[in-house]
Amino acid sequence: MANAPGRFLPGDPRTAEPYRLTPQLALRVAILAFLALGVFALLFLRLWALQVLSGDRYLAQANDNRVRTIRVEAPRGPVLDRYGRLVVTNVPGTRVELWPADLPKSWPVERKELRALAVVTGVSVQEMLAQLRRHGQDPLTPIVVQNGLHQDQIDYLRERAPDFPGVQLQESYLRKYPYRSLAAQVLGYVGQISPSEYTSLKTKGYVPTDSIGQAGIESTYDTYLRGKNGKAQLTVDSRGRPKGRATLVTQFTPGEALRLTIDIKLQRAAEQALRYGIHLARVSGIEGQHANGGSIVALDPRDGAVLAMASYPTYQPSIYVGRKDATKLAPVLDPKTAELANHPGINRAIDAAYPPGSTFKPVTALAAMQEGLMHPYETIPCIPVYTAYRQAFNNWTPLINMGMDLQRALAQSCDTYFYELGRRFYVLPSDRGHPLQGWANRFGLGEKTGIDAGPEAAGLIPTPEWRRAAYPASQGYGVIDRTWKPGYSIQLAIGQGQVLVTPLQMARLYAVIANGGKLVTPHLAADVELTGNDGKAARILRRFGAQPSQPTGVDPTALRYVQQGLEEATHASFGTSSGVFGNFPVDIAGKTGSAEKNVTLPGYPQAPKLTQSWWCGYGPFDAPTIVVCAVIENGGHGGTAAAPAALKVFEQYFRKSATPTAHASD
Amino acid sequence: MTIEAVNTRARGLRAHRESESAGLAGVLRRLDWLLLLALGGVVGYGLWAIDGITRHDPGGSAVTRQGLYVFAGALLFVAALVVDPDRFRAFWRPIYFGTLGLMMFVLVAGAATRGSRRWIDVGFFTFQPSEFGKVLFVLALAGLLAERSRSIGDPRAPLAALGYGLPPIVLVFVQPDIGTALVYMAALAAVLFIAGVRWSHLGVLGAITVAGALAVLWLLPVAGVNVLKPYQTDRLVGFTHPGNDPRGATYNLRQSITAVGAGGLRGRGVLGATQTRLNYLPEHATDFAFASLAEERGFFGAAILLLLYLLVVWRALKIVAGARDLYCAVVAGGIAFMFLFQVFVNSAMTMGVAPITGIPLPFVSVGGSSMITNFLAIGILQSIHLRRGMRRRG
Repeated sequence: MANAPGRFLPGDPRTAEPYRLTPQLALRVAILAFLALGVFALLFLRLWALQVLSGDRYLAQANDNRVRTIRVEAPRGPVLDRYGRLVVTNVPGTRVELWPADLPKSWPVERKELRALAVVTGVSVQEMLAQLRRHGQDPLTPIVVQNGLHQDQIDYLRERAPDFPGVQLQESYLRKYPYRSLAAQVLGYVGQISPSEYTSLKTKGYVPTDSIGQAGIESTYDTYLRGKNGKAQLTVDSRGRPKGRATLVTQFTPGEALRLTIDIKLQRAAEQALRYGIHLARVSGIEGQHANGGSIVALDPRDGAVLAMASYPTYQPSIYVGRKDATKLAPVLDPKTAELANHPGINRAIDAAYPPGSTFKPVTALAAMQEGLMHPYETIPCIPVYTAYRQAFNNWTPLINMGMDLQRALAQSCDTYFYELGRRFYVLPSDRGHPLQGWANRFGLGEKTGIDAGPEAAGLIPTPEWRRAAYPASQGYGVIDRTWKPGYSIQLAIGQGQVLVTPLQMARLYAVIANGGKLVTPHLAADVELTGNDGKAARILRRFGAQPSQPTGVDPTALRYVQQGLEEATHASFGTSSGVFGNFPVDIAGKTGSAEKNVTLPGYPQAPKLTQSWWCGYGPFDAPTIVVCAVIENGGHGGTAAAPAALKVFEQYFRKSATPTAHASD
Repeated sequence: MTIEAVNTRARGLRAHRESESAGLAGVLRRLDWLLLLALGGVVGYGLWAIDGITRHDPGGSAVTRQGLYVFAGALLFVAALVVDPDRFRAFWRPIYFGTLGLMMFVLVAGAATRGSRRWIDVGFFTFQPSEFGKVLFVLALAGLLAERSRSIGDPRAPLAALGYGLPPIVLVFVQPDIGTALVYMAALAAVLFIAGVRWSHLGVLGAITVAGALAVLWLLPVAGVNVLKPYQTDRLVGFTHPGNDPRGATYNLRQSITAVGAGGLRGRGVLGATQTRLNYLPEHATDFAFASLAEERGFFGAAILLLLYLLVVWRALKIVAGARDLYCAVVAGGIAFMFLFQVFVNSAMTMGVAPITGIPLPFVSVGGSSMITNFLAIGILQSIHLRRGMRRRG
């Protein structure tokens, strides 16, 4: 039968005999059906497990995804001088951060973005990648690419934000130094926390993007200065682009203000005096022509407060702030450049050790009196050459031949007088120990002063035991090398030989002499406080102040003779620095020192023996309020370079304290 | 033995009776209404879901565009009803070679997107031949096997099917589109299975497939030959150990699982679904649509869709059982299994129990080719159902 026209489905007579479902096909369809059921059962189970059984966990994950906790940086606390002048403060700045999780997922795109960012910021791609690698384990913590962006850089990145996924601009604060290079080494600087610092500090709440004080008081008092960062939450999309504004979760706590004991005007005077002293040394002739560095410390002998601490050469701490400039940083970071620039990064007041020369003589004098080896009125010959043990020891000047008592010997800095004392120490029976070194230690030499800014050198007071340990037989040193010879004691008596001291240690020693025998602990920080607007503390949060001074056990009478000797040294016609201090209206007492040291100089194959110019002293003589210790490296005789430099500090200091009204106005 | 195994519902008799009352009313009465209902449900639900999923995308909601595809698909659906499957059987060779030609054309002239050539730009719409190819592939292979139905026990029958089946699979594979290639392989397996290829032959083929997969994923890379690109291997095996590497290959997977899990029982709603809205979940309108749906509508919402799919699969299998001849049964079986395979692989991958492949979720993922193809597939199923019990002529 033909298909009826217009019928949609053709009639077919043979449809009467249908296709039959074979059992084999039925089985296979059934298998498919069971497979389908199994598949759907699996899907349902998995869906249930994810959504119902562990839904809360994934919900939390999804929320973590979208909410980014960002830091609201707390302004770092300012640093004030003792009169409340702002020495270090902050300016607001902007920094670029990279959020590793939001960077493009494909490397070519990421590289393209980093290259573009490198062009804008001047930070190389390698540097960024190195930083990313270091913080690779945590994709939700940003790295800081660059701090202190220029306005045009900020504008560029803001306008092209869609091209820079994972790049965020953050408000931050930058350190500002209104007094420029003043007290650079004392203040230290602030830098990005290093991975090793982070590892040791993370339990104290530091995070990898933190800045941290890297040296000086910025480092010591970091916990007070840093404040507490706030937290804000930002909703971001998958490319890290913020959606809407950040909401503040916790407000930051600004860092506390740190008040120093330093008087910034005295500091400036000290730094100027240091340059003046170097200048004097250079123009004085052959002896001081290589003068190229030095240090001045001014200390309050009553409590150890550091009034000024200068070190030369110096640098601008601002080179550490914001955009880093490798050429500017090289003198403090690169060892070779630092060598050429004579290490401006080192705080010579505490971290450089020199032979003290004659400034050490008060120690010898006091020790000899204490040990009964000398009487202050005993006359000991002061002659051009002192001979002992078949060795000749020269006096600094051959133009003398007379007997001297202690005061005169100190005032005129007679070497042979002290050579004799050194010999007397040497011949002491061994059961008396090493009293000269012992007294030096009691006066704080040969050990760190414990000042609150590092790093600090300990210096060296050589003893027979030290000699044996420092020249071990295992390294091929013979018996002769390892033996303490009489010349060592004789040299030590005038502060020569292997003895090494830091300027601060010497200032501390002269503070002992000035304050009647108490060993003070030098310190830089007075307190942390909330500062009022008049330069005075509104509320002192924590006072550091002075550690209690330790008695040295020195006999006040013995001390008196030394004080007299130091006063004669600056006022008697024969005093070594009378020409400098004799006319100064305030009674100053002090001692010159001219210490010989082998100094490596560029262009000299053999290290020549150069004279380190020292002067240490205090004033006013009757009631000392300031100790000044100055050293001019390779500056020649103490009277030519160091003493005039120290005088400049006294001039600044006493002009101030003599007329208190004037000081209030400046 | 076969005669006794008549379906108890004696569809032959009933079919005969119903065929007499053909015409539009007859067609409507003979349609599988449950399947139609399931189709309507899936499509409507899919449109609603995709509206929520894409509402916060840069281009706005894709529901209008998707609606157009649905309309085009519905037209194709009706067209498929009209055509007797016998036509496909008769012209299986042109269908096969046409498909093959189109696939070669797309490789040469296709538009590359994200490193893959799968699309042909036809102006108003980019057209993905490999999607249409799925159904055509089933039609062609079923034709081949139906031709050899008498010697189906002969190993040459499955070998011939393999010979015809592999070229399109390879062409899709090199686009590269591993997901679709897997769908083709599933379809090939299904037609062989339904056509009645011996168990032993199926077993050998299965073993060869497993060995091949192992070789591609493991042996050859060890020997220094990389058939797959590294990212493909990562995706295929990455789901077995989602690492803690947010920028690596498992990023999508972890975000997807998070999205599904965060949906909870009731879902986070369109506004609250941050994984989707803030674009943490990539490709949420296409490959990861199921995860987005699960995030926005929760367990209930996802379960409704799965149940609708189950309904489709169930009806499809019914149609296989009731097909009027082997060809129709093989076509219906291929389509049913392909559908099941796509639903499973897509939704399972978003939940971390299947490899990550670019297989769209039928009737939900935004995309014209997929939508229209799926309409065509269901249309053919309906067409087969319509002609159940009617022995083919000649």
